[in-house]
Amino acid sequence: MHAGHYISGAGHVLLIAWAFLGGAFRTEPLPFEVTEVSVITGEEYAAIMAAQAPPEAAPGVDGLAEPAPESAPVPEAPAPEPPPVRPQAPPETAEPQPDRAPEAPPEAPAPEAEVADSVPELAQPEDTAILLPDATPRPEPRPADRVAPTPAPPPPPGAETAPDTVPPAQAAPEPVPEPAPEPEPEPTAPEEATTEIVTEAEERDAAPDATPRPRARPERLAAAPPPEPAAPAAPEAPAEETEDAPSPAPDDVNRSAVDEMLAEALGGGGSGTGGPPLTGAERDALRVAVQECWVVDVGSQAANVTVTLAMSLSRDGTVMQDSLRLVSSEGGEGRAVDTAYQAARRAVLRCERGGYDLPPEKYDQWRDIEMTFNPENMRVR
Amino acid sequence: MIGRLAMALAALWAFATPVAAQDGPLRIEITEGVVEPLPYAVPDFVAETPGAAEWGERLARVVAADLTGTGLFREVPREAHISAITSFASPVQFADWKAVNAQALVTGAVAQQGDRLTVKFRVWDVFADRELGQGLQFSGTTEGWRRMAHKVSDAVYSRITGEDGYFDSRVVFVAETGPKDDRRKRLGIMDYDGANVQYLTDSSAIVLNPRFSPDGQRVLYTSYETGSPRVYLLDVGSVSRRVLPTPDGANTFSPRFSPDARQVVFSLAQGGNTDIYVTEIASGQSRRLTSAPSIETAPSFSPDGRRIVFESDRSGTQQIYIMPASGGEATRISFGPGRYGTPVWSPRGDLIAFTKQAEGRFHIGVMRTDGSEERLLTASFLDEGPTWSPNGRVIMFTRETQGAQGSAALYSVDVSGRNLKRVPTPAGASDPSWGPLQQ
Repeated sequence: MHAGHYISGAGHVLLIAWAFLGGAFRTEPLPFEVTEVSVITGEEYAAIMAAQAPPEAAPGVDGLAEPAPESAPVPEAPAPEPPPVRPQAPPETAEPQPDRAPEAPPEAPAPEAEVADSVPELAQPEDTAILLPDATPRPEPRPADRVAPTPAPPPPPGAETAPDTVPPAQAAPEPVPEPAPEPEPEPTAPEEATTEIVTEAEERDAAPDATPRPRARPERLAAAPPPEPAAPAAPEAPAEETEDAPSPAPDDVNRSAVDEMLAEALGGGGSGTGGPPLTGAERDALRVAVQECWVVDVGSQAANVTVTLAMSLSRDGTVMQDSLRLVSSEGGEGRAVDTAYQAARRAVLRCERGGYDLPPEKYDQWRDIEMTFNPENMRVR
Repeated sequence: MIGRLAMALAALWAFATPVAAQDGPLRIEITEGVVEPLPYAVPDFVAETPGAAEWGERLARVVAADLTGTGLFREVPREAHISAITSFASPVQFADWKAVNAQALVTGAVAQQGDRLTVKFRVWDVFADRELGQGLQFSGTTEGWRRMAHKVSDAVYSRITGEDGYFDSRVVFVAETGPKDDRRKRLGIMDYDGANVQYLTDSSAIVLNPRFSPDGQRVLYTSYETGSPRVYLLDVGSVSRRVLPTPDGANTFSPRFSPDARQVVFSLAQGGNTDIYVTEIASGQSRRLTSAPSIETAPSFSPDGRRIVFESDRSGTQQIYIMPASGGEATRISFGPGRYGTPVWSPRGDLIAFTKQAEGRFHIGVMRTDGSEERLLTASFLDEGPTWSPNGRVIMFTRETQGAQGSAALYSVDVSGRNLKRVPTPAGASDPSWGPLQQ
């Protein structure tokens, strides 16, 4: 609960320590008062303190100056070392619990076949299909008006269940009942037409060491768009500076150092790249937006391929026509690369949804993007 | 001064993860995606001749069943379609399909002339506003309409996934009827989806272990016709068969073709010892590959024909070993707890599927050819006998239920462990062997 406070506190202490000790504010030695101190032993200190104590007992003696108590060089305790800051900053999100797939619905028992014990002759199953590539001309996609602007009327309820009127294979003497491979003409395909059974997860409490569990969920949740923390801060900084004009000379030096820090933090540090860079949160938001549409087929060869796409975005956050292209790939070749590229391309285009939510004032920073899709974490292990 | 410092620190904090000064384009790395079926739409194929409308719907339904059945695709219900495909040649209204979130669209047309059908189709990448590949056309008899639909599915699958399909393929299996103590078995053959079941033998003798040849034209199987197990070679087209030439007086079983279909590797039991032999089909010459006093069986060639994976109990428990195809020293690759058997090399060459028995349960699993990355895909009272789809993506196997009324059925599962489902068969079924894509 307070881990964040501790980390924050430690970070602040480190920063302050760095700011003071690391020379960030010091461009040249500052004028300072030198106070000489001497190291004394415990006995000396006790003696001094003892010397201070007696005055009450002894009546004041004229002309005798008492040692100034404030000059006693009290050994100063060293500044407490800041606790070591842990390198990892944000707490890891919990590993997503493998979602328990519903057990496959029991199949309707197939119709019992009447069994005859005669050896049938096999229906001639040889292929009669002829492959004629390119037999059909490609239609010229023209900007025609919608042919049917009204939605197609839904088919009549019984229309799907066309009775199987295919004559049974003549050569087969047995009336083999059609096992009805597509028995239920459901008007709506089940959302998850697939069932997923990971049996070891059911059988053992511990995480299965050998059962594939694709990690499906992104680690970071798509949080609300991060606030713009920086933009308003920039103009305020100089305004405030002018107010404390009558500050002593040493402050001026420090002020310039602070200004440098501010400028650097705000990314304006004279890089000349047209606006501050995207914050980590803004980059994360873009990343999360795309990964939500990146469908990975974990069992395929393409799941071994990492592809990098380049694209250019318009100011409204949409991907410019024809700017999407494959820059590089590794981990596969040929069709696997193409499949991986197409999946990545679909992810970018599908999640565009009228334009990615990116800060318009930083357009120069995100106009050109190179996006790498690395399925390594998704792969079946 | 303090206020200014605080402000500087606050600004630093706000940019706790600042971007280094940017050169070139913004770079983003995506490492987490989603695993979900890809939405697609397949409207009924357009009828180009009177009376073909029924075929158009049937074809589209089989294509949809094929694609959805992979678990990789999800059909956008027809009721949700905004556009109607009224002509094969008219342009696709991509916006309408984007609106229903169909990422892929299959359009087709069918024409009938007598008993012949002509089917043509196109696949569209909706969000890219373009066609995937080019249009194709098949023609055949009305009797073979399902095969045409499967061919369309194979092409669609291939264009979207970049891998070959497996829909226009067949499975040979042992059809079982009757109670467990009086079970009758015969060889059956069917489409991969359970349609068009036909029988290749009668059930007068127990038959086991049918195995397709690489070209799908022949089947090896073991029969107890003579009282002891012998390996037979059956021609699927003519349903004629002959005994595989093997040493006299020996029990032979567990046969499998070599990738070039010239050889058969099998187990031979003689004098209480079981070893692996290979025989040339043409010449009938046999050669012994193993000579251990233990039981060696269930051999399976690698796709390149250079190695053989098999099971052996030479270490005391049943484990999986790999040896050169010419015989010689074998390397054990399975080391987990339990017993491993019936290894089958994937057509892709990268994985070996197996049956595992551990802690009273049976599993179908896969491992790499060096034994690493073992993954168990299923678990039940009795799962056994895996066989690979021609593209190495799906495994079909036998699942038997417990008890006197228990029966055997065929199931399939994606190599990722997803999409476990039963393959419909008219009655009990076991010991599947998945054939190649038909030509």
